[in-house]
Amino acid sequence: MTGKVSAFKQFKILLGKDLRHEMRTHEMLTSMGLYAVLVLIIFGVAFAQLGKAVDVAHLSGGLVWVLIVFTSLLGLGRSFSYEKEASCIEGILLVPMDRSVIYLSKLVSNLIFLSAVEVIALPLFYFFFMTSVAPAPSFPYSIASVVLGSIGISAVGTLLSSITVNARSKDVLLAVLFIPVVFPLLYACVAATTAALVGADAWMETFRTGVLLAGAYDIVMTLASWVLYDFVISA
Amino acid sequence: MNKKLLEASKVDRYVPAVLVAGALISALGFVLAFTVAPLVHGAAVTPELIAGQLVANQLLFSQKIFYFHVPVAMSSFIALIFTAFYGVRYLMTRDEGYDVRAKTATEVAVVFMIATMVTGVPWTRFEWGVWWSWEPRLTTYLILILMAIAYFILRTAFSDSEKRCSYASVFGIIMFIDAPICFMITRLIPSSTHPVVFRTDSGLPPDMLVPFLICMLGIVLIAFALYRVRLRQSLLSLRIERLKEELDELE
Repeated sequence: MTGKVSAFKQFKILLGKDLRHEMRTHEMLTSMGLYAVLVLIIFGVAFAQLGKAVDVAHLSGGLVWVLIVFTSLLGLGRSFSYEKEASCIEGILLVPMDRSVIYLSKLVSNLIFLSAVEVIALPLFYFFFMTSVAPAPSFPYSIASVVLGSIGISAVGTLLSSITVNARSKDVLLAVLFIPVVFPLLYACVAATTAALVGADAWMETFRTGVLLAGAYDIVMTLASWVLYDFVISA
Repeated sequence: MNKKLLEASKVDRYVPAVLVAGALISALGFVLAFTVAPLVHGAAVTPELIAGQLVANQLLFSQKIFYFHVPVAMSSFIALIFTAFYGVRYLMTRDEGYDVRAKTATEVAVVFMIATMVTGVPWTRFEWGVWWSWEPRLTTYLILILMAIAYFILRTAFSDSEKRCSYASVFGIIMFIDAPICFMITRLIPSSTHPVVFRTDSGLPPDMLVPFLICMLGIVLIAFALYRVRLRQSLLSLRIERLKEELDELE
């Protein structure tokens, strides 16, 4: 046994621990998935009186992101609290390793859980609300904006949730910090998703701008959170 | 802990004078804004009637808001730059004196932000003919206000001072990174329902520029003086806290 463990191996171990915890408890996926379905039901109520009077495609881009943001908030809030409950985080911090490895592993596990819920919730969204309109040919492109948005949400959310986990009113605090910070990303992603779903003339232009800006946000915010993470987790 | 950061500096002696000077200079600026600066046409929005008044392309008296609104908004940005700067300094040195400076700068920023918003609402109504528009500058500013408020909610959520200072510093830096991105994104993605209504000719003629710059100088001086006054108070209360702790240890 050599003394040095590579950063990638540490990352794999930490990520494996999160996934194994999830496999055994099903805590995150059940709560997030159920919550997503409940949000869909609320959308259903909100739409109940509209009939076919409204073109759902124009609204759906925004609604998809409402669904993703609220669901992700729930998951991000949980992601550190179970570490805190059993004081696991202290054990992890005792290991002499680069703190950014913890950040990356948490980011990836949050992203995996969020994606898993999206894989269930977004087809359901389509099934409930969008079957009345024929999908635009540019429909599949919306996946790109969902992927970029989820990466950004996980990157910022991981940093902020490791701050709020220590607070008394952690869930409210997370929402208060998270939503304004993630606002620009949402704006770009909603524009790109709507452009792809509606597929109007020159949709590619809006889509490209939205996706590029969401990508830029992801890169800047991931780097910033990565640098700042050491100060957050060691405090 | 650097003791010097907690003590009142020599600058504080001149702060009352700076405050008075700022008040006088900005008052002079406002007088010039109403006497020297001419009335200008409103932005070219689609003509619309609001309260029986046509609000496009007419000589607008409401443009005078500009001489207060813009300097105040710019002062709040300057204050937030200092929040981020002192946040970085805190994380480098772990010296609470820097955190107090960051907190004080944000407090000044919030006061100026509220003033900006209060003057901004009549501006959008009489210049653009709407109460609110999701236009890049407005949107970014609203998000910035929400983040500044969140900064204080974050501070009150932690009683442990090291945690509070570190988290607040990190969030101050995030705020500083997020705001320009927010402006860029809302600016570059055209919204189909809300046209961008602000005018693009930004050059000011000299008879408007001079009053504006005088107002700007006055308001920045006021902001600086408020910052120093509040900083002195916060530092004193921090020192009292420290002394109390020391006394408790002695007993």
